[in-house]
Amino acid sequence: MLSIEAVLRGVGAALLCLGAFAGLVSAIGFYRFKNFYLRLHAATVGTIWGCVFPLIGASLISVTMDELGEVKWFAAGASIVTAAIVFLLAPAGSHALARAVHRAHVARVQPCISDALDPNLCG
Amino acid sequence: MIAEIILAVIIIYIISIILLVIKAIKGPTIGDQVLAIDVITYITVVLFVLTSIYMKAALLIVIAIPLALWIYALDIYIAKYLEEGDLGA
Amino acid sequence: MWRMIAETIIYLIMACTSIASTIAVYLTIKEKDLVKAVIYSALQSALYTIIYFLLLTPDVVLVYLPVAVGLIPGVFLILISKTERWEKE
Repeated sequence: MLSIEAVLRGVGAALLCLGAFAGLVSAIGFYRFKNFYLRLHAATVGTIWGCVFPLIGASLISVTMDELGEVKWFAAGASIVTAAIVFLLAPAGSHALARAVHRAHVARVQPCISDALDPNLCG
Repeated sequence: MIAEIILAVIIIYIISIILLVIKAIKGPTIGDQVLAIDVITYITVVLFVLTSIYMKAALLIVIAIPLALWIYALDIYIAKYLEEGDLGA
Repeated sequence: MWRMIAETIIYLIMACTSIASTIAVYLTIKEKDLVKAVIYSALQSALYTIIYFLLLTPDVVLVYLPVAVGLIPGVFLILISKTERWEKE
């Protein structure tokens, strides 16, 4: 029977590896997408899969590490609070940026079929 | 065992930051550049937490929270400037 | 042996980030569109917080962060909206 420590460490390490892979995928995706509105998908993958889940994994790992002493509970709590803050703020910020860029006609929709909000920006 | 995993994850995150910095310098529009800086900063938050756990100096995790908050503020500044022309001051 | 590799990696990260921040400062000075210059300056501040963090000083980071990433772009964007955006010769 596995101990609680080994299970928590395994789950934490799995979440960290998922986060590292998602960060790499997001960085490559910024080069392969063709216009600004498609790159928002790459940015969302980078912030949610790459930064919220690894922080939860880091808090699970730091609960099991006894070398940190009594501070390990503080580290676990602060990591979860940071994960909640990033989870709430990152989509709101990029949504405001996307709305402003579309309204100010800064970026065109290059391979475009139709743009229902503003047909001048198409193509 | 855990220490080697954390080190490998830190190295992969640094490769992502290098690729994103090149995109932030090169990007054709302003929106691309702000988006790339956004992702760089959120990945820096994860790097701070992991490095402070790795170096066993766990009180440094408090730096990560203001970093996330101020980058949100930068997004809102650029959005207000592009949409209305001035920041209402 | 892992300890030596970890220390070497941390010094290497500091060196590469310093070189990248110098490139960002050069691009800030040579740019004619002032909004892009503000964004390059925010990129340089993000890279500086990584260096200050690796030197293990949390109080410097906590003060540098709101000033260079939050208030300086805000004040400069208000200034640009009231004067001119394209720098003339």
